[in-house]
Amino acid sequence: MVPAGQNAARMLGHTAIGASFARLCRARERLRDPGGRLPLHAIAREAELSTGELIRRFAALFGDTPHQYRLRERLDRAKDLLARSELAVTDVCMEVGFSSVGSFSAWFARRAGEPPSAYRRRVRPKAALPASSPESPQAGCLGLLEGALAHRDAGAISEKH
Amino acid sequence: MKIALNSIMVDDQGKALAFYTNMLGFVKQHDIPVGEYRWITVVSPEAPDGAALSLEPNANPAGKTFQEALFAQGIPATAFEVADVDAEHRRLKAKGVVFTRDPVQAGPAKIAVFADTCGNLIQIYQPPR
Repeated sequence: MVPAGQNAARMLGHTAIGASFARLCRARERLRDPGGRLPLHAIAREAELSTGELIRRFAALFGDTPHQYRLRERLDRAKDLLARSELAVTDVCMEVGFSSVGSFSAWFARRAGEPPSAYRRRVRPKAALPASSPESPQAGCLGLLEGALAHRDAGAISEKH
Repeated sequence: MKIALNSIMVDDQGKALAFYTNMLGFVKQHDIPVGEYRWITVVSPEAPDGAALSLEPNANPAGKTFQEALFAQGIPATAFEVADVDAEHRRLKAKGVVFTRDPVQAGPAKIAVFADTCGNLIQIYQPPR
């Protein structure tokens, strides 16, 4: 069985992106490793690109540099674990590739706007809601429309749609 | 009953709003905070009273898995009609948009596919004249 990415690359054929499309998708998978321990040059080598070329092409296709992508994935993973798992903050820290709770907490607070423990206290009750609730941290797929309609400015939406 | 709203999942709502307005040229219709996210819709300036597109967070793991699988298989998440695919292709390429499929005749229509930098491939199509 041919991997889906290779089929896509074959279909994309002659286009400039065609040759590297599957390799860039694969690089994205490798970067998603929440531990984030695989060095970028190794991922670039696997993608048959120089590190600079990987950064440039990855950003053009996915809108983030590999570094930005990796940080966002780690933050999303940390948020999910804090909201829905029973892991202690220290374990969440290890799980997303940090070795020091202090640096993890500072990094998390900088990016999420509040320390991990405060985030957990605030979001945990919402994480118990069904994903269809607009207040759920897993909301989406038009679930947010309900929340928007409840907003005081939502009169315009009701009138329009 | 009418189709007035469609949605597309995006990996970052702020980045998506910038791409769909600054790069594609759509116009922001709503941007309302809801819980952890925002309810964001854009419309086409060519049809401001037409269907709106909601830029939805791909926060649900099921949605994210689906979105990434579609992308890796080269399958567009949605399609937008354009008057001239070649002209749009030139305009967007000049802005740095990556096309995974250059304009090609597909039966009576002409199509092309680009990445929206938010985890989706978008097909543009020019209906037969």
